[in-house]
Amino acid sequence: MTTIQTTELDRYHRQMLLPGIGEEGQRKLMNAKVFVCGCGALGTVIANMLARAGVGHLVIADRDFIEMTNLQRQILFDESDVENALPKAEAARRKIAQINSQVKVTTFIDDVNHTNVEKMAADCDIILDGLDNFETRFLLNDVAVKHRIPYVYGGSVGTTGMTYAILPHSHPDDANETPWELAGAATPCLRCIFEQAPPPGMNPTCDTAGVLGPVVSIVANYQCVEAIKILTGNYSAVRPTLLSFDVWENTIRQLKVARAYDVGNCLCCKQRQFEFLEGKFASGTTTLCGRNAVQLTQKLAEGRKLDFDEIAQRLAAHGQVKANKFMLRADITDNGNAYELTLFTDGRAIVKGTKEANVAKSIYAKYVGA
Amino acid sequence: MEVTISIPTALRPQVDNKDTVKVTGSSVREALGALTAQYPELGKRLYAGENELNRFINVYVNDEDIRFMDNLDTALKEGDEVSIIPAIAGG
Repeated sequence: MTTIQTTELDRYHRQMLLPGIGEEGQRKLMNAKVFVCGCGALGTVIANMLARAGVGHLVIADRDFIEMTNLQRQILFDESDVENALPKAEAARRKIAQINSQVKVTTFIDDVNHTNVEKMAADCDIILDGLDNFETRFLLNDVAVKHRIPYVYGGSVGTTGMTYAILPHSHPDDANETPWELAGAATPCLRCIFEQAPPPGMNPTCDTAGVLGPVVSIVANYQCVEAIKILTGNYSAVRPTLLSFDVWENTIRQLKVARAYDVGNCLCCKQRQFEFLEGKFASGTTTLCGRNAVQLTQKLAEGRKLDFDEIAQRLAAHGQVKANKFMLRADITDNGNAYELTLFTDGRAIVKGTKEANVAKSIYAKYVGA
Repeated sequence: MEVTISIPTALRPQVDNKDTVKVTGSSVREALGALTAQYPELGKRLYAGENELNRFINVYVNDEDIRFMDNLDTALKEGDEVSIIPAIAGG
């Protein structure tokens, strides 16, 4: 544990006045290591807020570069970052250094997948999700349950948001109970609640349906609230429900999920099958030699097929779309670059216009979803 | 008995862009059956088989998940609110 000087605490005076935090809680935050997975709309708000709150070490992972259309909601970035073509994780590191030089930042400019996620999350006290797809969220959920790391899910699209804090249950073979179990605050995991990811193309994405800037900030700030409660040991204050809201329709629901662990037989936290961490559903990528194209093998659940009608409707706003019963082809212009996206019913895709796997995965996640 | 079904934004194109639909039914199965009889395109999105909802679709009655009550046989009473809640993937 790092020794913290009293003078280093001064800047957190207003936060330490809160009875749930105090100096002891502040010292816990300053000794904490947090994994921020994804540094887009959710991730920038999370990284910004936790750096200001004095979290000692932030680990930030993101595969993308900053685009002008990000600036509407991705609050750590500005026009100069776009001009300098900075990766999001690096731009975030530079901004955080200006916001709070006490915070250590480790960056991974990489695709987060089953081969590297455990290294990124190693020794972290909590995982916060700033992601845009469910494949990686279920991967984080596997890591959280396997290693008993709290994980806070957040999602947002259009004017809707959703967030939920996972305080994983231990396995009967584990030698001891976690502090949150001793506090009676363990919660069902993400797969207890959502058994399966929506298939690609089934749900709108921020790039097809749009997203209101404030709603993402609201979700991310809710995630930070739960993170601060957890990191300061206020486990019994953690929201036990799945929060779902629409800021345009003025609806807020707190969905009761506690029985999902008691009654359910979750593959992940009950049966200890870490399918995403084992790469069972991992989307593979292959650069197609001489074609300036990348093939993605997105594995769909057994028996499922992509719904071309739905995807064609969604992509029509972005360029020409042609589909038959075998394949769908769409011309997409993203951040000034032209891509040709070809989808097959089994989920396989070819993204033409790049040789970079990360770019192809990003185009797929943005316009098809996952 | 009449209940209100809340439709998520993503599925509204299948129900003439309505945010809620009132139907009659004494169980979730009957209520969703009445809804999908009225809007067959929605049924294709909700059901994996004749008696099975897609596993990425969650249905709540008064904010309680039906999977942990009596699933599609969960009883409904007058004025209950049935919500279809898909996971949100964006961010």
